[in-house]
Amino acid sequence: MNIFKLVAKNLLRRKGRFVFTLLGITIGMASFVALLSLGGSMRGEVTRQADALGANLIITPKNWCAYDQISILTGNSLPESLQYSVLAEVSAIPGITAVPYLTQTTAVQNRPVSVIGIYPAEMLEFNDWRVREGNYFSSRDVRVLVLGSGIANSFNLNVGDTLTIRGENFPVAAILEENGNNDDTAMYLPLSVVQEIFDVGEYISYIGAKVENIAETESYIAAILDVVNVSVTTDRQLLSTVLSMLGSINVALQLIAGVSLVAAAFGIINTMMTAISERRREIGILRAIGGKSGAIFKIFLLESGLYGFLGGILGVAVGYVVSIFAGPMIAESGMGDLLKGAAPEASINAPIIFAAIFLSVAISVLSGFYPAWKAAKLTPAEAMSYE
Amino acid sequence: MSDTIIRIENLVKIYGKNAAKTHALKGVSIEIPRGSFSCVVGPSGHGKSTLLQLIGGLDKPTDGSVLICDADISKMSDNKLSELRAEKIGFVFQFFNLLHNLTAMENIQTAMMFGKIPQKDHRAKAEKLLALVGLSDKANAKPSELSGGQQQRVSIARALANDPDILLMDEPTGNLDSESENEVLNHIFEIHKSGKTIVIVTHNTELAHRADLLFVIKDGILIQKEGLS
Ligand SMILES: Nc1ncnc2c1ncn2[C@@H]1O[C@H](COP(=O)(O)OP(=O)(O)OP(=O)(O)O)[C@@H](O)[C@H]1O
Ligand SMILES: [Mg+2]
Repeated sequence: MNIFKLVAKNLLRRKGRFVFTLLGITIGMASFVALLSLGGSMRGEVTRQADALGANLIITPKNWCAYDQISILTGNSLPESLQYSVLAEVSAIPGITAVPYLTQTTAVQNRPVSVIGIYPAEMLEFNDWRVREGNYFSSRDVRVLVLGSGIANSFNLNVGDTLTIRGENFPVAAILEENGNNDDTAMYLPLSVVQEIFDVGEYISYIGAKVENIAETESYIAAILDVVNVSVTTDRQLLSTVLSMLGSINVALQLIAGVSLVAAAFGIINTMMTAISERRREIGILRAIGGKSGAIFKIFLLESGLYGFLGGILGVAVGYVVSIFAGPMIAESGMGDLLKGAAPEASINAPIIFAAIFLSVAISVLSGFYPAWKAAKLTPAEAMSYE
Repeated sequence: MSDTIIRIENLVKIYGKNAAKTHALKGVSIEIPRGSFSCVVGPSGHGKSTLLQLIGGLDKPTDGSVLICDADISKMSDNKLSELRAEKIGFVFQFFNLLHNLTAMENIQTAMMFGKIPQKDHRAKAEKLLALVGLSDKANAKPSELSGGQQQRVSIARALANDPDILLMDEPTGNLDSESENEVLNHIFEIHKSGKTIVIVTHNTELAHRADLLFVIKDGILIQKEGLS
């Protein structure tokens, strides 16, 4: 006989209560791990996409909010609120190469897809695009489509297929090679064609710009602001805005997980308090046959610690599975634009697993502290006295 | 049978406070020689269990002292008292003696956890003790699978787990039929012959007459003492 065997036998004597208490901590840990890993993969995805951003500068209308800026990263539809004439003024500044973007949304097989109006030749060079198959736009007003590789793959489209946008049929003329950023998840038409079919007139969404000398970025920005009334961000700024937003989303998610962990902790406290009042007489017997109050403390603390250990292991496993299934589900929804192609398993690794199990054990040991102390401080005579 | 193993001096125990005060013991002095067989008798609610609990260090006296082997246990720390109970004293109570989710064997081995016997000898020693109370075939039975008399015999085996000098029993046969009672008592007499000091609280007058020493407690006072010296 040893203390561990005694504890194991005690844990299992009320199987229902054992299971429900264990479920509490398991669910708490599972949501903690799942939310943590989703948050982590969103962050990873944003960083990855931002790395692949082609432009050094992004020129947007003055009144854009952070959500619009995120949409640049995700390729979502954007308000067409920058006057087309701005492009010429910016391009006229020496040392700046500027390209227009007009981002709209259409549907392919009933799913939303971005259609971006571009200057074909300039864009090809600006983003270092390569054509995988077919013939790229031949002029600024051909009425054909070029697809990002991701779109072609996920809708199983080939050169020669036809897509309908706003009632007009467009043949697919070319498919681009994979680029690694959200260029892959949009389709392209010449700017003038998008302006015409979406009826936006002389407007574009934003301008991407490259500067000749990156060290002088600040003075280029000053030069742009001199000639036009716009706001200019660098892609690094954009990234930090998005990351800080994601940071607050993560904090909110972790807060939710934290609440469920607190609830689980109270479940353990409750179970242990019940066990102690039920086993009062037994505590008395253990004391009468020579058990020290320290031994009683250890027995009950181990018992609650075991809940945390088992719950932690189960919780990590369940949380991992949930994040694998929930990841793609979220990617289908709005917020999931940030998650496109993100693999949640990438953000669950050995340190996270150990940290989660450690956290779980720590919480349950902490929860067990008060009940165990209550049990240990019963004098043998108090514990023996039958109610 | 000359030296005194248990010496009780002017023992007072008051339960509760203020209006709810109960004077369970009102100044009891007793000396018990090593190896003797003592019985404590008296009406219900008059302080017998209280006396036994104080002798075994399960509770602290309000006043007076208890000396076991000349050591004053009323002044001992909780840990020291636990060690004393583990090594020198074995308890048997009237009800609920055993841990109900453990087998007979495990109950005995649990007591050994707190004593000084090396772990590797636990099993063999426990088997010997079960044989001593005639329950070798019930080693793996849970208390619920044992009769009342068998449960008490397991309790006695457990009380002997760490080879204590003193056995304290509070009505060990109080809820047994007379057949089981006799069987349990026979084991107790056997154990006494091996040199243990035994103190039993009992209502059994026949047993009381067979004791070396008889103490009659009434209203918290020792009113009569018979036997030896
Ligand atoms: N923990 C306690 N708290 C308060 N009063 C107690 C406590 N234990 C015992 N008493 C009181 O002390 C007195 C003596 O009780 P004790 O249990 O020693 O009697 P007893 O002689 O063993 O009786 P019985 O033969 O019924 O077992 C009783 O009046 C009892 O109510
Ligand atoms: Mg009593």
